[in-house]
Amino acid sequence: MNTLLALLAVTLLMFTDGASGTELPSGDEIARRINARDEGIAVSRKVTMEMTETSGKSRTRETQGFRKYYGREKRTVIFYLSPRSIRGTAFLTYDYPEPGRDDDQWLYLPALRKVRRISASDRGDYFLGTDFTYEDIKLETRVSLKDYRRKTVGEDEVDGVHCLLLESRPVSPEIAEELGYGKVLQCVDDRIWMVRRSQMWDLKGQPLKTIHFRDIRQVQGIWTPHLIEVVNHKTGHQTRFHFANVDYQSGVDDRIFTQNALKRGWRR
Amino acid sequence: MESSLMVTGQWALGTGSGSTQTLSGIFQPEVNLSFNHGWHLTTSLRLRSEARNGMQPGDIERGAYSPYSRPALLHESTELELRELFLQGQLGEILFTLGKQQVVWGKADGLKVLDIVDPQSFREFILEDFDDSRIPLWTLNIERQIGNWDLQLLWIPDPTFHAIPKRGATFAFTSPELVPTAPPGVTVKLNDPRRPNRPLKDSDAGLRVATFWRGWDITFNYLYQYANLPVLRQNVALVEGKPEVIVTPGYERTHVLGTTFSTALGDWVLRGEVGYFSRTFFIGKDPTRHHGVVKSPHLNYVLGLDWNGPADILISGQLIQSWMLKHAQRGTGNRLDSTLTLLMRRLFLYDTLTAEVLVIANFNHGDGIVRPKLRYQWLDHLDIWLGADVFFGDREGVFGQFGNNGRVLLGFESAF
Repeated sequence: MNTLLALLAVTLLMFTDGASGTELPSGDEIARRINARDEGIAVSRKVTMEMTETSGKSRTRETQGFRKYYGREKRTVIFYLSPRSIRGTAFLTYDYPEPGRDDDQWLYLPALRKVRRISASDRGDYFLGTDFTYEDIKLETRVSLKDYRRKTVGEDEVDGVHCLLLESRPVSPEIAEELGYGKVLQCVDDRIWMVRRSQMWDLKGQPLKTIHFRDIRQVQGIWTPHLIEVVNHKTGHQTRFHFANVDYQSGVDDRIFTQNALKRGWRR
Repeated sequence: MESSLMVTGQWALGTGSGSTQTLSGIFQPEVNLSFNHGWHLTTSLRLRSEARNGMQPGDIERGAYSPYSRPALLHESTELELRELFLQGQLGEILFTLGKQQVVWGKADGLKVLDIVDPQSFREFILEDFDDSRIPLWTLNIERQIGNWDLQLLWIPDPTFHAIPKRGATFAFTSPELVPTAPPGVTVKLNDPRRPNRPLKDSDAGLRVATFWRGWDITFNYLYQYANLPVLRQNVALVEGKPEVIVTPGYERTHVLGTTFSTALGDWVLRGEVGYFSRTFFIGKDPTRHHGVVKSPHLNYVLGLDWNGPADILISGQLIQSWMLKHAQRGTGNRLDSTLTLLMRRLFLYDTLTAEVLVIANFNHGDGIVRPKLRYQWLDHLDIWLGADVFFGDREGVFGQFGNNGRVLLGFESAF
C-alpha cells in the first residue's frame, strides 16, 4: 500500500512540478525557477579566461573571483593574476536589488595605482576584452526578470540533455539598445533549472553570439558550470571561461569587497 | 615564491633636433615571497640603461635623493634602483606595509594635486608614466577599517624630493615659473641643496580617512611634509666686480589638508580633489627681497568629468587650478593658474588596441602639450606603442619651455 502511495505521489509530482507533462511551464515560471536555484551565499573560484581571434591567436588571463550576497545585494570582485602585463588589475561591483538604482563599479589599474570609479550604465559593453557583456558577467547563470518579456517556445536538447526553449525579448527599444540584444533564446535544463545554451540576436535580428554552459557538476550540492564558451558570430571571436577550485562553503571575508582590497590585490 | 621580469625599450626621436632624444632599455625584475599567516615580501629592482646620446642618469640632480633611496650609478649611462622592498601582512585588524613602496593619493589624471606623498623624477618632465617617474619612499603604512571608514597612517622617514634635471639636460627647467632667471651677462651659481638631516624630526607623516557614502567615494587627507619642490633662495654678490646670483635650494615644511570625491551619474563620472597647502614658496619679482622668494598658502584643486560612451569610448576633461591665497609679488604675476586637460580614448579589437589623445593646456601662458598614442597588445606578453609629444605655446610657460623637445616615440614592453 505504501509503495502504491509513493508511486502515486511521484506521478503527481511529475505532472505538477516538472516539465515532462503535456503542458510546458510559462516563460516567467522558467525564469523564476532559474533564479530560485541555489547559488550559495558566497563563492570563490579561479577563472581562466581564454580569448581566441579568428586567426587562432589567443590570449589567456588567470583570475580569482569572489561573489557574495548581502540579502538581495550582490557584491563581486575579480582579481587578475596573470599575465604579468595586466596582473593586479581588479574589478569590483556592488549590484543593488532596487529597480532604477545603478550598480557601483570600480576598476583598479596597477599602472595608475589608483582605484577608478567607472559608470555602470553601459551594461551592453564588452567586459575587459571578452565576448561577455558586463550584464552577462553580472547575471552569471541567472536571468533578468525586469528587462525581458518571455515565453516558452518549445523543447530541445543540448549536450544530450533535454531542455525547454525560453524566448526573451527586451521590454522596450531603449532596454534593447542598452543590452545590445534584440532577442535571446535560451535552452533551459528543466531537471536542474540551469541555462545550458543562450543564443543572442542583435537589434537588427542578425545572429550575434551563442553562449554554452558546459561541464555542469554539483559542487558542495550546488550545480555549477565549469566551462562557459561564447562565440561571436559577427567577428568569429571566442571566449572561454574555465572555472576551478569552486568553493561555496569556506566563506568569503567582507573586506575583500572594498577598494582597499582592490589595491592590495589577491595572492595565491 | 613568484617572480617576474618586465623588459621595456623606448626610442624617441626629437622632432626639433632630428636626433635621438632617448634610447633606453629597462629591466625590472620582481620577486614575491609568501610566508605564513598571509605575510609576504615584495622586491622590485629597475636597471635602466641609456644610449650615449640619450638622457643620461647623471643629468638628474642626485642631491634630491636621500642616501637610502638614491639609485646607484653603475656606469655613466646605467643606473640601478631599488623600486620596492616591502613586507605586507595583517596583525589582528591592522594591515601593515613596511618598507620602500609607492603611496598614491588623489583622483586627478595626468597632473597632480594630492598625489604628492611620494616625489617624482622629472627626468622626462611629466612624459614618463607616473608609475615609473614616482620615487618610492621608505614608509611605514598602517591601514585599518573601522565600520565604514578606512584609515591610513603614514610615517615616512625618507627625505627624498623631486629629482630635477640639471642645467643643460634635455628637460632642464627654464621657465620663470619654476626657476629664477638672471639678466644677460649675470652668472648664476647653483649651490648644493640644503637638505633636512634629522632622521626622526624631519620625517613626513600623513593620515587619510576614506569612506563610501550614498554612492560617493570620499577621502579626507592630511600630510605634514617637506614640499617636494626645492625653494630656490637667491643671493646677489659681486665677484671680481661682476654681479653673480648664487642660488641655494632648500626644502620647507608645509601642512597639506585635502579631500577627494568621485561618484557615477549615469554615463558620467564626476571626480575631484582639493588640496590646501599652508606654506608654498614662489619665485618673487625682486631677487634682492626675501632672497627672491615669496611665501603664501595656496589652494590646488581639480574637477574632472568622465564620459563613458558606447563602443569603449572615454572622454575625460579636467579643470585644474592653483590659487596663491596671499597677495605677494610673485615673479610671474599670476595668483591664479588654470589648466585644462582633455583625454579621448577608444579601445578597439577586444581591448587589444588603445588609441588616445591627451591635451593639456595652460590658460595663463597659452601653452600646453598634445600627446597622441597608439598602444597594441600584440601578444599576452608583448605590447608595442607609437606616440608623439608635441609642446606648444609661450616658451616661458611650464609646458612651452620644452617647445624644442617635441618627439615621436616607439616602444615595447615585454613581461614574463
